[in-house]
Amino acid sequence: MAAYALLRSMSSSFPSVLPLLSRSGSLSPAPLAITPFFRRTLASSSRFSAALKFTDKHEWVRVEDDGVGTVGISNFAQEALGDVVYCGLPEVGTELVQQDEFGALESVKAASELYSPLTGEVVEVNSLLADNPGLVNKSCYKDGWLMKMTIAKPAELDSLMDEAAYERYIRSIED
Amino acid sequence: MLQLRRTLALLRGETGNQRARTGSTFPFLNSTDASSGLVLQSQSTDVYQNLALEDWIDAHVDLQQRGILLLWRNRPAVVIGRHQNPWSECNLPAMREMGIALARRRSGGGTVFHDHGNLNMTFFASKKAYDRKRNLKVVTEALRRLRPNLDIQATDRFDILLKGHYKISGTASRLSRKSSYHHCTLLYSADRSALSTVLRPSCPGIQSNATPSVPSPVANLIDHAPSLALEELLEALVQQYNTEFGFSSACTLVDPSDESAFPGVGTMATELRSWDWTFGRTPKFRVETLLELRDEQPPARCSAQLQVEVKAGQVESCRLDVPASWIPLRLSGQLSDVLVGERFCPHRAAAAVAAMLRSERGQFHSRLHNLCEAVLAVMG
Repeated sequence: MAAYALLRSMSSSFPSVLPLLSRSGSLSPAPLAITPFFRRTLASSSRFSAALKFTDKHEWVRVEDDGVGTVGISNFAQEALGDVVYCGLPEVGTELVQQDEFGALESVKAASELYSPLTGEVVEVNSLLADNPGLVNKSCYKDGWLMKMTIAKPAELDSLMDEAAYERYIRSIED
Repeated sequence: MLQLRRTLALLRGETGNQRARTGSTFPFLNSTDASSGLVLQSQSTDVYQNLALEDWIDAHVDLQQRGILLLWRNRPAVVIGRHQNPWSECNLPAMREMGIALARRRSGGGTVFHDHGNLNMTFFASKKAYDRKRNLKVVTEALRRLRPNLDIQATDRFDILLKGHYKISGTASRLSRKSSYHHCTLLYSADRSALSTVLRPSCPGIQSNATPSVPSPVANLIDHAPSLALEELLEALVQQYNTEFGFSSACTLVDPSDESAFPGVGTMATELRSWDWTFGRTPKFRVETLLELRDEQPPARCSAQLQVEVKAGQVESCRLDVPASWIPLRLSGQLSDVLVGERFCPHRAAAAVAAMLRSERGQFHSRLHNLCEAVLAVMG
């Protein structure tokens, strides 16, 4: 219970605590039992602490606490696209294999195909985009998310780039 | 024939060691690092086959070092953009009567009418080399060389205008994994009367977030350059394409239904012909409209309100507000119920209501029949 009291005091002062918590990859056995509590509180205060993984097609996926992956496009992609006028997204329940075409974003530039970063099933589609497709441009990592899917093969995440690798990738293609 | 087979083998990437082919006249065989081009002309006038050919080329040809120009024409068809609503873009009943096909393409943009007097050009390139302005320059320069007196300009919306006013070309494109295609129309001698008949909504009262078309007045090149022959135009375009991109490719005829040349193209065409793709991909929409109902013996009239929500081309919900004095509420309610889950299609709906009509033989039969007809008419 002392540990519990410790948790509560920590949770009230997040800004200083967050970096510490997100860096600690492996906890010793005792605190492991309370790890889920940590993660839940983390998620509710700041989504950006969850790591993004990127594909070479400029989609990102973020694993949420419930094991579902949120998918969107990167800032590089939304800039390249220009103003999005329509988001063609799949139906909930659609089964996707990694790299399957799952929809398209239409902008003045073109209709650009979207490719699934992972294998899984679509569980939710961002309904805000129907009336506000520009959210993809304005907030590509947050409110402009495209869909959520189950992660049938978690190992596929290892084949994706982390943020640093993605930054290097962008620099290499811009040359 | 040998040339065609080589071309097709190259397209499939089966070239192996290109240098081993001595004496070939293809530019990209002779050059080691320079980009190379190919000009193809489709022998088919089937819109689905031609659209499938575009997708096949995009999926199977390595466009990183290569550019391709595909020339094609279709027998009469309306082609809507990837995210458009056919019920709001075109007159489906008129098209059925006139035998005009409907196709949904994979690129974005608006609705166009194709016939033998419309020339389509598809510019294939890598994503890096994607440049619509440059592609349209091929068209405008070719036209200026042929007829220097014609006032031809490309706009920043990538339309081509004649005399600053008449649209003679519209553009759309698709970006995929590593490649791109940009296609455009060119009105040479299209049937403008058919065009204006079919490019109208099928029914009023559609509310949708589907991408809309931007209607424009159009003109045919032939009306402003009467001596311009189609062959002349084609030659000039091929020549200008080669000039602009530094290629020296002759035009090769291709048959998009040739499964040995383009393995898998048939499946792609089948998908493009399917109801699921053409209608089922329509963004969710709502129809709100007034139905005018009437009786002949004795003459009587009534207005009813219809509200339908259509998702993936199917009726998701239907509400019919018909005054109870005209027809019992249970009957209008029954009709609404019967339509839910059916395709938003007059044929399917007719089949669904047939049983209901057969079983209602009482005094309301003719009014019910009239109501069904009015509802079906809304479905295009």
